[in-house]
Amino acid sequence: MNTTLKIAIAEHSAVIRYGIEAILKRITEYRMQFIEIANHEDLQEELRAHTPDILIINPAFPGSFPITQLREETGCTHMKCIALIYSATNSHLLRAYDDQFNIYDTVEEIKLKLDRMHLPEKTETFDNEDEQQTLSSREKEIVVCVVKGMTNREIADKLFLSTHTVITHRRNIARKLQIHSASGLTIYAIVNKLVELSDIQQ
Amino acid sequence: MSDLICENYPMVLVMSRFGIALGFGEKNIGEVCRQNNVDRCTFLTVVNFLTETAYSPIPAESINRCLSLKSLMTYLHNAHDYFLNFRLPHIRRKLVEAIADCPEDISFVIRQFFDEYALEVHKHMTYEEKTVFPYVDGLLEGKKDPKYNISIFSKRHDQIEMKIVELKNILIKYYPGQGTHLLNSVLFDIFATEEDLATHNRVEDYLFVPAILALEKQLK
Repeated sequence: MNTTLKIAIAEHSAVIRYGIEAILKRITEYRMQFIEIANHEDLQEELRAHTPDILIINPAFPGSFPITQLREETGCTHMKCIALIYSATNSHLLRAYDDQFNIYDTVEEIKLKLDRMHLPEKTETFDNEDEQQTLSSREKEIVVCVVKGMTNREIADKLFLSTHTVITHRRNIARKLQIHSASGLTIYAIVNKLVELSDIQQ
Repeated sequence: MSDLICENYPMVLVMSRFGIALGFGEKNIGEVCRQNNVDRCTFLTVVNFLTETAYSPIPAESINRCLSLKSLMTYLHNAHDYFLNFRLPHIRRKLVEAIADCPEDISFVIRQFFDEYALEVHKHMTYEEKTVFPYVDGLLEGKKDPKYNISIFSKRHDQIEMKIVELKNILIKYYPGQGTHLLNSVLFDIFATEEDLATHNRVEDYLFVPAILALEKQLK
């Protein structure tokens, strides 16, 4: 998977922000995009705007609330939070974080921590890909309906499903095929002979 | 100037979008800009921004004050013109020719997909041309439209390269006909365009928008 990790760094000191960025950039296994948050007033807004995968934050950064609350309020529920430690910090405070970067960490240590955080997910998706990237017959039925221009409600009625299930199926289809638009699915359906051109041109 | 281009090919596009032609000889960047009436500071800001690998928004205070929004808009406008009137039609022609051998129904839906996509890009860029640029022109004259501000734009500004990524995926994974040199060449065009559109959006989000935000603050 060739994904870009969006990493937000919330820290007042520019020297430290740039330092972290410079170190992370030396880890070439990941493609990264950085979001710098220098002011605590901007924290929530930036998180909401960019929904980063990882937030590296100084626990003394004002406004870092309970982390769980921050995640919910900004809609970044899957965001991993790493505490940036450079002074003695109450270990009780750190429990809510997924991991910690110590200011004396070496590049290798930081890489290890990143790997630990993301490898489980990666292997998981790889397993899935091995297992099945092809669509189940139910999913194919749904592709056909979508391509014919039916709404989720109509699909649900026709196949005796709840709209909720239809939406889940559609999400899985998009993930398996990496196709998100109806016109993209049309190409897929024609190429794989799920529909005829005449079916969809009514 | 030639060092810059040879070290970083995409800069040739940047240069031409600023209205600088090839054939500038041994002149350095400053001289070439002066000769072509290009604002040197804006040119350098864009070049530096694009050669930099971290894509975080530039904090407003660190945007060089000499940056000329006028000049930046000319650049963005020319880029739009390039995508809409050259790049996309060019890819379409090549694509249509490359898939001519595959069954009619398939080439039909691929064409349809591409046209829908081109229409989306069109809408996206026309909005910028018709709404955002005039608004900024007004700001530059000191007039602030009370009904609009640039965050409206940044909120609805989507990533237009996503759908072309989809076309790329579809061609790679499901194209049923014989692969040809021409089709490969279309794919490479798509890769390049994808990259180019993404950078274009980055310039808008991380350079253009912060510069306007700063201007809005000033006018308050």
